[in-house]
Amino acid sequence: MSALLPDGFAALEPFVVRWAVSGTAARAARRGASSAEEREAFYGAAKDMLLPALAYLDGKNLAEFDAADNRLMDMMLSLAHVALAVEGLGNDEPRHAEMRRHMRITRSPAGV
Amino acid sequence: MNNIASSTAPGFTPVSADSVAWLGTGPVPAAPYYDPAYYELEREAVFRHSWLQLGHVSELPEPGSFIRREVEVLKASVLLVRGRDGHIRAFHNVCTHRGTQLVEAESGRAGNFSCPYHRWSFSTDGRLLSAPDFESFGLTKEECALPAIALEICGGLIFVNFEPKISLREEMGPFADWLEKFPCAQATQFSEYVYEINGNWKLTYDNFQENYHLRFIHPRTGGAAVSDENPFGYPVKYGFHGPHRTQTIWSNPNVKPTPLQAISFGKGAQFAMADGLAGPHARDYLALFPNFFVIGTPTQSFSHTIWPLGPERSRGVIRLYWKGEDDCASRRYAREYALASARDIHAEDRAVIEAGQRGLSSGALKYIHFQTQEALCRHLFNNVNERVEAYKAELAGGAA
Ligand code: FES
Ligand SMILES: [Fe+2]
Repeated sequence: MSALLPDGFAALEPFVVRWAVSGTAARAARRGASSAEEREAFYGAAKDMLLPALAYLDGKNLAEFDAADNRLMDMMLSLAHVALAVEGLGNDEPRHAEMRRHMRITRSPAGV
Repeated sequence: MNNIASSTAPGFTPVSADSVAWLGTGPVPAAPYYDPAYYELEREAVFRHSWLQLGHVSELPEPGSFIRREVEVLKASVLLVRGRDGHIRAFHNVCTHRGTQLVEAESGRAGNFSCPYHRWSFSTDGRLLSAPDFESFGLTKEECALPAIALEICGGLIFVNFEPKISLREEMGPFADWLEKFPCAQATQFSEYVYEINGNWKLTYDNFQENYHLRFIHPRTGGAAVSDENPFGYPVKYGFHGPHRTQTIWSNPNVKPTPLQAISFGKGAQFAMADGLAGPHARDYLALFPNFFVIGTPTQSFSHTIWPLGPERSRGVIRLYWKGEDDCASRRYAREYALASARDIHAEDRAVIEAGQRGLSSGALKYIHFQTQEALCRHLFNNVNERVEAYKAELAGGAA
């Protein structure tokens, strides 16, 4: 049985289901549909893992990522969205999510 | 919180009222921001004769690459194509037989374009290649080429003009060289987000050429743009050339980024430096008449085009430009963060512009007002109105 995430990142496993989302628009939508508790729990667990995760992933070619690597990458990309809510908008996030819905992401190097 | 009243701290001097007084100082009529009759005039007076930003060269990577772009304000469908000779051309997406729209796909790659109706077939450089039973028309193929639209490329951006009165480069003057040094000139791909808005195109555009609203509309997302010495985050300078304009964005020396903001923008900055994107225009905003602007910052260089869809309706297209592929996880991450953070800010703008439109469309106001630091908004209005008035005079003359 293979692990959900690469070695060293097991602490993030509880967040895989919700935050290992493929596609920039889908990640933005997941943030928009999440609760404050979900965002804070994920941000709290993941923020100190960001640099180690990127350092680990930078050691590989994107095309050579296995399923666990892809999950970790997608989670860090979700963290980019979630951090904006947690660090920036705070309790303004729900109102903001409604405004943001109108800004449709149509292109992203990471795939829409 | 900053104290707005004591805005005399050293380190920042706003652009003086005197230096932009030539634009006028009086109230501006409100009707042009909602009146359907004025909008009809703008379509011909402004949009039919202006250089319109329709795309980026990276969208047409190889011979045969094409994109279709709808220009609703002129009821036109435009086909941008890279020919076998490598040149990019623009055509009306209209079959010359009986007008059928030739290409339905939004983008793709084709050896030629074949009309679905009676199979007239056109080359990627617009020539009629073949048509069934063509002899029965008594026409030459030369007469039946796709109608071309004037096209110029500057800074990697593709501009078209349906009825040019002047070349793009001539009209841009010194700004053409600027644009060639912006990151979009080197970009090989971009991120994009799009919104529709119940807002007149000028009202929508104006939001993005004044900083007066920053501290009120972006209290959390735009904190980096304001400080005690410059409480509104006003620009350092304005510049004008013909109908085009610039501003130089003030750098706040006291920005305190949040933890992930620091990491994310830090990574973005490292890549931008390594890629040679830090040009001389890192703090410059360039607005090209009528509906396009682009920011030269190396880390989050974006353009914004606002397409009129009606007197009170527009579409905004925002693109962040990137040089090179996502070659590693960090680069991919930095780009995702840059996109998401720009989108957060623009989402706030959209909502307040719609509120402005509701007020204007009620007809309650005869005039609106621009202060010194809304000089770019006034400059846009002046340039639109000059063209609309000239066109009205032309119509009146023709009717006499
Ligand atoms: S309209 Fe295109 S072939 Fe007839
Ligand atoms: Fe804004």
